[in-house]
Amino acid sequence: MIDRSALLQFLFSGITLGSVYALIAISLVIVYNVSRVLCFAQGEFFVFGALSMIALTSLGIPMPIGFVLTIVIVSGLGVVIERLLIRPVQKSSVGTVITMTVAISLCLRGLGLLIWGREAHTLPAFTSSKALSIFGAYLSVQVLWIIGAAGFVLLMIWLFFEKTLLGLSMRACAENRLGANLVGISVWKATLFAWAWGAALGALAGAVIAPLIFVRYISGTMPMLKGFTAIAIGGLTTVGSVIAGLLLGIMEAYTVGLISSEFADAIVFSVLILVLLGRSYGILGKTEDGGM
Amino acid sequence: MNVRRNIGWLIPLLFIGLFPVTLGRISPYYNTVLILVGIYVILAVSLDLLIGFAGQISVGHAAFYAIGAYTSGILTAKHGISPFVALLCGLFASGLVAWGIGRAVLRLKGYYLAMATLGLNAVIVKLITCLASITGGASGLLNIPPFRIFGLTFQDHTYYYYCVWGAVVLVISCCLALAKSPFGTALIAIHSDEEAAGTLGIDCPKYKLHVFVISSMLAGVAGSLFAHFMGFIAPDDFDIFTSILVLVMLFLGGVGTIYGAALGAAFLKLLPEVTYRFQNYELFFHGLILILVLIFMPKGLLGILTHTKDWLFRTKYRSNASLKGTEP
Repeated sequence: MIDRSALLQFLFSGITLGSVYALIAISLVIVYNVSRVLCFAQGEFFVFGALSMIALTSLGIPMPIGFVLTIVIVSGLGVVIERLLIRPVQKSSVGTVITMTVAISLCLRGLGLLIWGREAHTLPAFTSSKALSIFGAYLSVQVLWIIGAAGFVLLMIWLFFEKTLLGLSMRACAENRLGANLVGISVWKATLFAWAWGAALGALAGAVIAPLIFVRYISGTMPMLKGFTAIAIGGLTTVGSVIAGLLLGIMEAYTVGLISSEFADAIVFSVLILVLLGRSYGILGKTEDGGM
Repeated sequence: MNVRRNIGWLIPLLFIGLFPVTLGRISPYYNTVLILVGIYVILAVSLDLLIGFAGQISVGHAAFYAIGAYTSGILTAKHGISPFVALLCGLFASGLVAWGIGRAVLRLKGYYLAMATLGLNAVIVKLITCLASITGGASGLLNIPPFRIFGLTFQDHTYYYYCVWGAVVLVISCCLALAKSPFGTALIAIHSDEEAAGTLGIDCPKYKLHVFVISSMLAGVAGSLFAHFMGFIAPDDFDIFTSILVLVMLFLGGVGTIYGAALGAAFLKLLPEVTYRFQNYELFFHGLILILVLIFMPKGLLGILTHTKDWLFRTKYRSNASLKGTEP
């Protein structure tokens, strides 16, 4: 019998993982909904976020400034990639666009290898490396930062997409690109901003989790796949994918804790397939064509 | 006109067939590389049937590659069954799995289908890792005997080269025949507009399932050939990156043309032979070359070849692309 404190411990680690998955999922969703591109390079934004944060901090730059700089640099990278590489192939077939994002991901991974080498890096905790004890379970202070950052960003996203003109025009593009264009919204501007958001959110996820994990230039794949799973379960909507990301993290933590770490990924991806099949049979609402 | 077209393609095939003979015995290293190229050509061409013709995006092709390889590997290494029979078993096992899940999975469309197949690939690889008592787990399956047929053992890699490339020619001809048959036409119709195809009396779910099964079986064959060639297989050989790699090969070469897929596979498998010199820069240049190809050659590598041919022979005004309608 596993005692209550262990169960609580799994919940904490689940929420930590889940917040990161939710951030990655939401970055994928914003890019997908506005530009109709499923970006296979999103994991690299995550890695670049974590590694730039580590690099800037090791240069002696204070952490808050390093954090902001990281987000700015990576979202700039996202903008450059959209403008220079995605836009020329945007009108081609979906497969070509997917291939392009894969090529970009290879390129970024190569760049990461050149800048940071093959070894794994980590970061000291933002404030204190101590852990709080709650009902016998330990909660590291960094986890509070992660959850706080995720919550704050979700609030920002909500405000941006509900209250600002740019956010509303981006939602219009997500609904119907042609229609948005016809009423005078600059679709390209919206797309550019979507990529900036996407890259920034990926980088944020990487930067906040960096103190808890070891990051290498190839670490981006698994978080990206979990992000894909979350958006597929969440039905390519913002709210749905945040919830799905959190649930996914919690489920993974309990599977690792109670069953076995080997089966965790198998179970996560089986859930993905089951949910998608359920969707195709019309259990979870309307069937969508996935934009192709 | 078809005869003329096919004669044109005999030249590269002849070249491939005579390659080890004309150059004497090529170095074992390049022999290995070329065998792997052949295996990936089979994978890419079989994926082209599914994506290029039927328009069903799959990012999980390596799952069936894995099933073929592991069926073949387990049967020969642990139960002593003849490799040729094991290859057939691998073919049927892949087909059977595709048959079992196909109808449900193929109801999905577009990105959802892509993500479901991606998930399928991940699940299969994880299952192989977890069922260590049967598959050898993460450390891999050892001692797979070399390929043997009619008492002829392909221990020597020069002979295995012929075996693999014979299979490649067979697979390409089958796919071309399939593409030109009424079945292929129905697939193209489904690709263009599934509802319209349905109103014309095409049983879309059935056709999609059939092409999925055929494509998976061919991937299974590639898996068996790979297993008997390497003598050792591990789950890493079949993970999502392999699926993505095959997808990239397909779109790099030109989708919906069969030859394009073969060209893309050969290009991408041979590219590291050039880029490995850059050492740490390899990954970066690899990505950069792909990006340049995609931006400046939107129709893929085959597009360049056909364009050059048109330019050379001034056949621009003849409708020479009998498969033109398949381009998405």
